Amino acid sequence: MSDWYAMNVVLIQTTLTTLLLALSIQVPIRFGVFSFAGVGAFGIGGYTAAIAMVHLGWTTWPSVALGAVLAGVVVFALGLVVQRLTGLYMGMATIAFTLIVSVVAVNGGELTGGPGGLFGALGEIDTGHILAVVVVVVAVLVWTEAKGMGRRVDTVREDPELATAMGIDVARYRLASFAISGVIGGLAGAITTLLRSTITPAEVNFHMVVLALTAIIVGGARSWLGAFIGAVIFVWLPTVISFVQEWEKVVYGFLVAVAAIYLPNGVLGLIKDLVHRLRTRQERARMAVLQEKG
Amino acid sequence: MAESAVGRQTALLAMEDVAVHFGGVKAVDGITLEMYEGNIYGVIGPNGSGKSTLLGAMTRLTPSTRGRFLLDGKDYTRVPARNVHRMGISRTFQTVRLLDDRSVRDNILLGLDALPKQTRKETAMQVDEVMERVGVREVAQLRPDELSYGMQRRVEFARAIIGRPRLLLLDEPTAGMNTAERKEIGKLMRQLCDEGITQFIVEHDVEMMVETCDYLFAMNVGKLIAEGEPQDVVRHPAVQEAYLGKGAAADA
Repeated sequence: MSDWYAMNVVLIQTTLTTLLLALSIQVPIRFGVFSFAGVGAFGIGGYTAAIAMVHLGWTTWPSVALGAVLAGVVVFALGLVVQRLTGLYMGMATIAFTLIVSVVAVNGGELTGGPGGLFGALGEIDTGHILAVVVVVVAVLVWTEAKGMGRRVDTVREDPELATAMGIDVARYRLASFAISGVIGGLAGAITTLLRSTITPAEVNFHMVVLALTAIIVGGARSWLGAFIGAVIFVWLPTVISFVQEWEKVVYGFLVAVAAIYLPNGVLGLIKDLVHRLRTRQERARMAVLQEKG
Repeated sequence: MAESAVGRQTALLAMEDVAVHFGGVKAVDGITLEMYEGNIYGVIGPNGSGKSTLLGAMTRLTPSTRGRFLLDGKDYTRVPARNVHRMGISRTFQTVRLLDDRSVRDNILLGLDALPKQTRKETAMQVDEVMERVGVREVAQLRPDELSYGMQRRVEFARAIIGRPRLLLLDEPTAGMNTAERKEIGKLMRQLCDEGITQFIVEHDVEMMVETCDYLFAMNVGKLIAEGEPQDVVRHPAVQEAYLGKGAAADA
């Protein structure tokens, strides 16, 4: 066990930070907001934490906290500005936000280290610390998925007009999703940066959006567990299929396509459907009888 | 204001000169009406006469161009749509709008989410009772997409009444149901009315409306063309003309 852990510690840590990044994209989508600002938050969190350590001489956890809070505040403010946008327009505006963060990083001079990025921000972070952060984040998300809150969040996403008719303040839920997404993305960025001691503008980019999005599509967009499944698949896939060598990208693309076509709710959706069908066998039999009578 | 001739009571819901215009289209154009507690009201009219728009405007989901809305004599024209449910106005939609990923029971509970909190036990009893009444208790754990259309409509009905609204707005409540199911829902509406839930129904089925409603409004091209006892309203020349075309009233 400990041998296995020692050999795979980097992959385990990457799985956890990828999970955080995926969650920062998944949260707004679960609230019906097509926002990719989570990756921008990743950049803000990462740079803020690195600047706090390198330029201000702060210790690890205050730097991470500052990065997360600042990312949360900025993304919430972005939410105030773009909250009326929907669908593709929301997606475009929030990707633009992410790219702006990267442009600011490139042109930030000494503060951000310019195009080369910022070095020397090595924090004291081990797997246990990251796991603790993930547990807290997941606990909050489980609450937003549980019974009553989960039902309201689902309604806000699936049918905002119905939600309003049922007395739910749709705008408030959506704004909350921006703030949550910002904090989680900020945590992902800060922890990733201090773990590797460096961050560059190239990391705050479109390919990160794609990584987070594919993890959710394959794993499942409706629950944190889906993001977890997706993070595990995409972090470990290269090791597992290393025998295919240069065909790796093809296998990767194939998996995403299959998931998008055949598993609209991801791997998790498939599992949930199976459980539901097993659990409601009797009820469906009764329903069939009712329908025959009617 | 708004006092009935007999009881001198305040109207439960009153609309004064309400209009809803979409660009140049006058979907609802200057409607004034009153509804009193403990009755079933219905509105009939050909397709596109503005019935559903009128219902939407009452819930404030559809913004009105002019006019006033009063509940118990209190103006709620400027109240945001999300607060209308809490004021005791509940509605169903013309098409089924349920959460397909959630159980029937969960879908119905949505009707209580924005209302004052109760104990878990009270909520459980309430949802069981309402499922029993509309006849979906047997399928409580199924998802809406596993149910027939008629059953889905019952779930919507249950969601609308679980919070015991004062005014229940029903947009074609029996569309897609068979005759037996229609009768059942009609009976349930009457029961709810006897329990003090005032109802406002938009429906195509004139026969059912005459059977079920205490008072009818007839609309055409955004305006009220008749109101009164159901039998009288359907015989009204303007209504006959709206449904059957010019000349029909004279032939009848």
